[in-house]
Amino acid sequence: MSPTILPPLKKGGHATHCKRCLSGLPSSQVDLDPTKMALSFYCLGFLDLSGELEAKSKDWEREHWRDWIWTQQTREPIMASNMHAVIRQTEHIPLGGHYGTGFRPSSYMTATEYATEEYSDHNTPHIIMTYTALLSLSILRDDFSRLDRKGLLKFLRSCQNSDGSFSSEPLGGDSDLRTTFSAFSISSMLDDWSGMDVSSALRFISSCRTYEGGYGQSPSGEALGGTTYCALASLQLSKQLESLSTQDRQKTVRWLVQNQASNGGFRGRTNKDADACYCFWCGASLHVLDAGDLVDEAAMSSFIASCQFKYGGIAKTPGEHPDPYHTYLSLAAVALLPPNPSGEASWEICPLDPLLNATHQTSSWARAHIPAPKVDGDHAL
Amino acid sequence: MDVPTEEHLLYSQRPEWADVLPLEQYENITPLAPIFYTDEYKDATNYFRGIVKSGEMTPRVLELTEDIIRQNPGHYSAWQYRYKTLMALKCPLDDELKLMDELAVKHLKTYQVWHHRRLLVQQTRNPGPELEFIANSLQNDMKNYHTWSYRQWILAYFNDDELWSHELDFVESMLEADVRNNSAWHHRFFIAFQSGVRNGDQDRDAIVRRELAFVKERIAVAPNNASAWNYLRGILDHAKTPYSELQAFVKPYSLPQPPFGTPPEVVDLEDPLPSKEAQLPCVAAIEFMADIYEAAGSNDLMKATELWRSLANEHDTIRRR
Ligand SMILES: [Zn+2]
Repeated sequence: MSPTILPPLKKGGHATHCKRCLSGLPSSQVDLDPTKMALSFYCLGFLDLSGELEAKSKDWEREHWRDWIWTQQTREPIMASNMHAVIRQTEHIPLGGHYGTGFRPSSYMTATEYATEEYSDHNTPHIIMTYTALLSLSILRDDFSRLDRKGLLKFLRSCQNSDGSFSSEPLGGDSDLRTTFSAFSISSMLDDWSGMDVSSALRFISSCRTYEGGYGQSPSGEALGGTTYCALASLQLSKQLESLSTQDRQKTVRWLVQNQASNGGFRGRTNKDADACYCFWCGASLHVLDAGDLVDEAAMSSFIASCQFKYGGIAKTPGEHPDPYHTYLSLAAVALLPPNPSGEASWEICPLDPLLNATHQTSSWARAHIPAPKVDGDHAL
Repeated sequence: MDVPTEEHLLYSQRPEWADVLPLEQYENITPLAPIFYTDEYKDATNYFRGIVKSGEMTPRVLELTEDIIRQNPGHYSAWQYRYKTLMALKCPLDDELKLMDELAVKHLKTYQVWHHRRLLVQQTRNPGPELEFIANSLQNDMKNYHTWSYRQWILAYFNDDELWSHELDFVESMLEADVRNNSAWHHRFFIAFQSGVRNGDQDRDAIVRRELAFVKERIAVAPNNASAWNYLRGILDHAKTPYSELQAFVKPYSLPQPPFGTPPEVVDLEDPLPSKEAQLPCVAAIEFMADIYEAAGSNDLMKATELWRSLANEHDTIRRR
């Protein structure tokens, strides 16, 4: 194959786009409020992966960000010692916090007057936000001394449904492979799988498999790149990837490879147009299946190059407006499947852990600090 | 000067809301990605937090939550609280569904719109009109994931013979409109093989034959259609039929030009040939033939390797390796 000359990857400009979003969003983006923790992760993830975090933020800023993320951790009621809680219990008023501890998307439902109260049924933690909060805190090198690990396991248990799936919130909300993946990642980061029934969760994953070889969002859904990544990464995180037969594995690889379009980008579903985020979802899926060599990395990178917005940020397709989600996932795809050799130093990015979706340094930090500290041998705190 | 109508007044300016204590959003720490809310949104959500705190469930809560949802359709708590209020007030849910008809078209890609609808239909237990609503909604976006998921849910959840009866016709009309619509192909697989056995469909071999005939015809019309080839493979895998049984049908599609200079005198209904306009060879057919040879092993492995190489060099620019 002839070497492809790639235009430069303008990481600095893209980092500025992400930093700008962290500093504030216009009112037209109010719909991001209920998923803001995830948006923050994409911004921070980009700064981390591009090596721009220190340059683009001050120490005090990162400290404030950490504090803000911790304020999204819900508080479990302190029984007995807390008179208020005891009184409410005797009055048979449902006590908030009995679903365990997790992170909320933002403060959008938190009232100033009641910010330190236990959470109500209308301001519960969210499983995807919890996964992204743990990663963001790892990026910011937090020591996790404020993490309520027992509460977190309880939260996972209250999100799991009888079919093995997980609801995004203890009282409902969406349940699909994205929430399953979040539960698997959280358990893996905690190095503790007691928060879920693993075998029913695995059954749910396999029920989402489709005739095309990919996985749908839920049991009767069409095969989709994002949820296929969620399924495969969950299997690998729980060391169950071997349970896929050779034929099934080949079928999945075939479908994923077929999703690389002639313009080099990946599509999320058969016969749809390529979209930058699927370079990560499909590329990382192939990487997890040990078939990353089947990706035409140079073509993929040139597609991503064409999605760069001239004022910073990466869009889903050429000519569209950029956003942190596509900006981060494009860079993550390039980190995982670098164009080699590109002849352009700007395309060299530090390697990525495809399972947690973070740099190796960040995922090592998470694995070192999130599990409960071990005290003299078997006794965990 | 315009006299401000009630609708344009903030809740804080309206006497009938004076009994509610508005609650400001907690943001005393530098937040990540703060959103610069409009005054209208800030005002409405202040009152919403106040309502949730007091636990009020009255008709004005419906007005307030609709207002918030229109400004932010992703506001999970507003949807959730609205549903609870509808239940508490025993509201006529048909009116709510009518409102949802409007909001679904506006916010086709918002998960909450569809989730709310599912909750409502579980209460009304009247799925009939839903299929028509979905069919209309798909006209605006034929591949919308939420819309198709909702249709599959309606069919599976209510599992009513009457609901299922026109489904094959429906999906056929969708494929008629766009033979490359993978969502429609997926839906067809769901109907044929994944949703239980309905009256009249007990002969499973007949279903497999029907589906094979259907997909072959569609491949003949448009050979370079990954959705159809994936469907063909899906049927064969499902029925545990070896790919080699399709060799007679597939081979002509894997060759550089139609096998005959002139159309054959006898049209083979079982194995329709590519049309004269078809762009051949078809990559998916070459791949299919290579899989047949590979499965046969020994001597045929050579043929498979040759085909893979031809794919890599000429026909499939992306999969060079
Ligand atoms: Zn995308």
